[in-house]
Amino acid sequence: MTLTHRAFLYTGREEFLAGTTAFLRDGLERGAAAVAVARPENVAALRAALAEHDGAVEFYDATEFYRHPVRTLKSYLDLVERLAPQRVHAVAEPVWDGHDAERRAEWIRYESLINEVFADTGASALCPYDRRTLPAEVLASTRVTHPVVIDGAERRSPDYVAPRAFGERRERARRVERPPGAEYLPIVSDDLRPLRSFVAARARAGGLPETAVRNLVTAANEVAANALAHGSPPMGAWVWNDDGEINCEIGDNGHWRPDPLTGFVPPKSALDTGFGLWTVRLLVDYVEMRGGWDGTFVRLRICR
Amino acid sequence: MRWASHPAPAAYAEAIRTDLDGQAMRSWFDTRCVGDVRPGDHAWLPYSGADERDHIVGRFVAAALATREKLVYITDADPDALPGVGADPGAHLASGQLSVLPRAHACLDGYGAFDPARLAATIEREVAAGVAADFRAVRITLDYTPMLREGGLPGLLGCEDEVEHTVAPSTMSMAVCQIDRRACPPADLAALAGTHDLRVEPDALYDDGTLRIVPTFAPRGLRVEGEVDAARHALLGDHLARAVAAGHGVRLDCARLDFLDLAGFNLLIRHAEALRPGEALILDDLPPSVENVIDMVGWHRLPGLRRGRVRVPLDQAGEVLP
Repeated sequence: MTLTHRAFLYTGREEFLAGTTAFLRDGLERGAAAVAVARPENVAALRAALAEHDGAVEFYDATEFYRHPVRTLKSYLDLVERLAPQRVHAVAEPVWDGHDAERRAEWIRYESLINEVFADTGASALCPYDRRTLPAEVLASTRVTHPVVIDGAERRSPDYVAPRAFGERRERARRVERPPGAEYLPIVSDDLRPLRSFVAARARAGGLPETAVRNLVTAANEVAANALAHGSPPMGAWVWNDDGEINCEIGDNGHWRPDPLTGFVPPKSALDTGFGLWTVRLLVDYVEMRGGWDGTFVRLRICR
Repeated sequence: MRWASHPAPAAYAEAIRTDLDGQAMRSWFDTRCVGDVRPGDHAWLPYSGADERDHIVGRFVAAALATREKLVYITDADPDALPGVGADPGAHLASGQLSVLPRAHACLDGYGAFDPARLAATIEREVAAGVAADFRAVRITLDYTPMLREGGLPGLLGCEDEVEHTVAPSTMSMAVCQIDRRACPPADLAALAGTHDLRVEPDALYDDGTLRIVPTFAPRGLRVEGEVDAARHALLGDHLARAVAAGHGVRLDCARLDFLDLAGFNLLIRHAEALRPGEALILDDLPPSVENVIDMVGWHRLPGLRRGRVRVPLDQAGEVLP
């Protein structure tokens, strides 16, 4: 059961409703579970337009649903599993407002990951993109992240890039140096208690709320344990405060290169390989990995 | 997360654990490991079953007999059947190091009724005899459960006051008062708790200052305190395996668990797999920091683990009966 993942570019409410209601009605006729995740004004319009199917469509507010890409992937997967064996037909409208370039890039990657995570679910996703309000970069990205794009007419996208290749491109794109003021703690034994204290104290001093402090400590401990298991010394952790965003980077001198998809695809259970890195991605806002001549570095970023 | 920067570990130092903030999370000066009971302690042991009672009393008894301390056990049981006395208590009885006193002689009056004054006199006499015989200390233990049944609470409380006056100022004697909590209404338990400075609990199975593992009896399982990380997985795994092998329905008391690393979930699941079909490893009193991770990944990704009792906030825990 393959995934159908299409971008739907629209202008104005009328075109939005024409495309999305036809898609959801078609799903209901085929016996699929109809789900609509959209911005509040679009949810309201869809509810009204689909009044005769009252109760048959699950609606979600996209501003709640799209807060953290890895958590959103998990929420969708949990939803698909809950509704199984029914297939899911979902209107999936991400929120693009208020993102800086980096966050926008993470959400574009998220759209690419949909193709991997839901590959075998038989689900059908229609992702509406508002031509009038969205930046050109976002509109252009639909052709890379969706195998099929509806832009007036529906056609297969020649620019589509498979998720793994997309992820490799994305990881190569970034490289931001650590600031000179970053504090450093060498990791010299497999007892990671000093690391946890080091990270917790600085995260707390940086004003992170307690839950975020704990999440960062758990994530940093996992990355360090992984470095101890697979990397090579010297190892250590840097922590710095980037204008309220706490950064924690764990580095070692080895060359373990995680697969670009590792930690994005939700594992079935905590026994699966990849559970650790996936949970790390859930716990913090950003995870960046970089492998170079000087070692492997995993940077965790979290803000209030 | 960390321990308070405690001074050199004095023999009977009180454990005060701190959380990540460095603030005192909870002090439990009101409980003491059986191995740490010292002269002047008038401790009580509310037990939920014979295995719990024998585990703890056995340590108290054996510790006396292993050193130059006298052990006074007030009971109608056969000396051979007492916990901690070893296979042959005869030599200890003969030397006077072990004194097993039937209740009729130690604490009942001529009509077979509980007589607190007589118990106090017995304790004073035994302690004096122990001192005269040059023992380093005198340990006293008895089970109050029959007295509670026979004489009711007021007599018992009066008696506890007497014992308190005898033992507390002493540099020589220490007492462990056993009571079957199943035979004792909650209000009576609270009243008895008030007459003791300390509650005695089992010795830790493991304690490295970061992770502490303590056996629990009701419910049966382990209390995992402090921090679990990769450096301590093998150890926790050993104790989990033993608990799982010993019987069904293993519960983990997580009330004092400050940190569980992600691979720790993997460890718990693998041990839960060894339970009988349909059984789960039940996690009681999960702290918010651990529960937050579980909620994030979803319980369905943790097969064999189940949420147990919901955590009582620590500032209220003091009001809950031991």
